[in-house]
Amino acid sequence: MSETFDYILLILPALLQGTKIIVVMFFMTLIFAIPLGLPLALGSDSKVLPVRWACRAYVFIFRGTPLMLQLFFIYFMLPIYFGLRIDALPAAIITFVLNYAAYLSEIYRGGIGSIERGQYEASICLGLNKFQTMFDIIIPQAIKRVLPSVTNEMITLVKDTALVSVLGVADLMKNSRAAVNRDGSVMAYLVAAIIYLILNAVLTKLSYRFEDKLSRHEVRCNR
Amino acid sequence: MTDNSPIIEVKHINKQFGDFTALSDVSLTVNRGETIAIIGPSGSGKSTLLRSINYLEQINSGEIIINGKTLVSTPQDKAIYVSDKEIRRICSDLGMIFQHFNLFPHMTCLRNITYAPIKVKKIAKARAEAEAKCLLAMVDLSGKEDSYPAMLSGGQKQRVAIARGLAMHPAVMLFDEPTSALDPEITGEVLAVMKKLAEDQMTMLVVTHEMGFAKEVADRVIFMADGRIVEQGTPRQIFDTPQSDRLKSFLRSVLRS
Ligand SMILES: Nc1ncnc2c1ncn2[C@@H]1O[C@H](COP(=O)(O)OP(=O)(O)OP(=O)(O)O)[C@@H](O)[C@H]1O
Ligand SMILES: [Mg+2]
Repeated sequence: MSETFDYILLILPALLQGTKIIVVMFFMTLIFAIPLGLPLALGSDSKVLPVRWACRAYVFIFRGTPLMLQLFFIYFMLPIYFGLRIDALPAAIITFVLNYAAYLSEIYRGGIGSIERGQYEASICLGLNKFQTMFDIIIPQAIKRVLPSVTNEMITLVKDTALVSVLGVADLMKNSRAAVNRDGSVMAYLVAAIIYLILNAVLTKLSYRFEDKLSRHEVRCNR
Repeated sequence: MTDNSPIIEVKHINKQFGDFTALSDVSLTVNRGETIAIIGPSGSGKSTLLRSINYLEQINSGEIIINGKTLVSTPQDKAIYVSDKEIRRICSDLGMIFQHFNLFPHMTCLRNITYAPIKVKKIAKARAEAEAKCLLAMVDLSGKEDSYPAMLSGGQKQRVAIARGLAMHPAVMLFDEPTSALDPEITGEVLAVMKKLAEDQMTMLVVTHEMGFAKEVADRVIFMADGRIVEQGTPRQIFDTPQSDRLKSFLRSVLRS
């Protein structure tokens, strides 16, 4: 029993080091992909056809090919064909941002499309311009509707970060595999699983709290 | 306001949905201070007429002039609208009340009312809020400033919607079946507000199934059927001495129920 405990303490630093990579990738992807998805979503329904086609093609490409292939492409192909050398971690972050922006844009598009026509009509009748209608009336309502799907994507993101190990980045996945191969015990995998679960538990909890906050006006009783 | 020119002029408008003709050669003049009730069977084009006036639908031909400004005309055979910016300016003279209220659910009542005056008319926040409070008092909803629409009854929502429309100081208020989504026992509170507006000389165009309201409050009643204005006149003329068979049978069917 205490032997197991000692062993966990022994491998934990490396695993936590790997966890740091997850956290960095997670936040970087979040910070850039969440806003980037919006122009893509609006562009995908734009009346300007070239804009619409470009946005839809972008989404099609990034949703239609494996994330791992996209990682390889950006990490290995860009240097070969364009002479652009990037380190593995930044290359992975860029890939994730581009990929998640595509997925998020489709979620946003669905959310925006789900807002009733009456909201647009009321906005028109009150003289709001398109920008005011979109940003002050439609999007605030859409955010609440897409939040569960976005949370879902974020949980997938935490797990997807394991893919960077194929580029040799020392993330949780790579470090736990190293421990397993070295010590002939699968304990490292078990600990890694628990770490992934803890991360996602925190994430889920936060998103519930955020959802509550956004729908406060539906339950709060004013008097 | 001593201006005697009509506030809305609709001339020979036609509106098609695909092959279906929703409005056929409809002409209508609305004078200042007038309350007009539009009645007629379902599908007769009442909503389409209202929605064409405030550009929620685009007509195929004809002419619409609001407050002396041309919104759309038909120089040849196709309707030509003025520029988007001009349309917004012209339609700012029109307030619209919908059957399903269409309040902004993520904003408090106060914000629902003040948002457009502040953002569109650039009125100072304090002034807009003071006025919104007066309007809420007018529709008998003082104290609901910080409530969200979801916490209000249907009748209360519709009254907030009316306050929201009035906050933009429109020259005309358009109502599309303002009480049809409400329980019968609370239609009265909305109709009372509308009656008050009519008494204050607000120009109103009201599509309604409330024959009592049409009889009692309207200066003029318009009967539509099959995309046309079939008959119009004072409430007495329409309800007591209907001329056309269409109107007679319509009145029989609504008064029976
Ligand atoms: N967007 C649309 N596309 C196709 N047809 C439409 C559309 N809007 C309305 N119509 C048709 O036009 C006709 C007139 O509709 P409108 O809504 O103006 O009737 P209404 O008199 O308001 O009826 P109700 O009393 O049921 O509200 C109907 O037959 C309707 O089916
Ligand atoms: Mg209708």
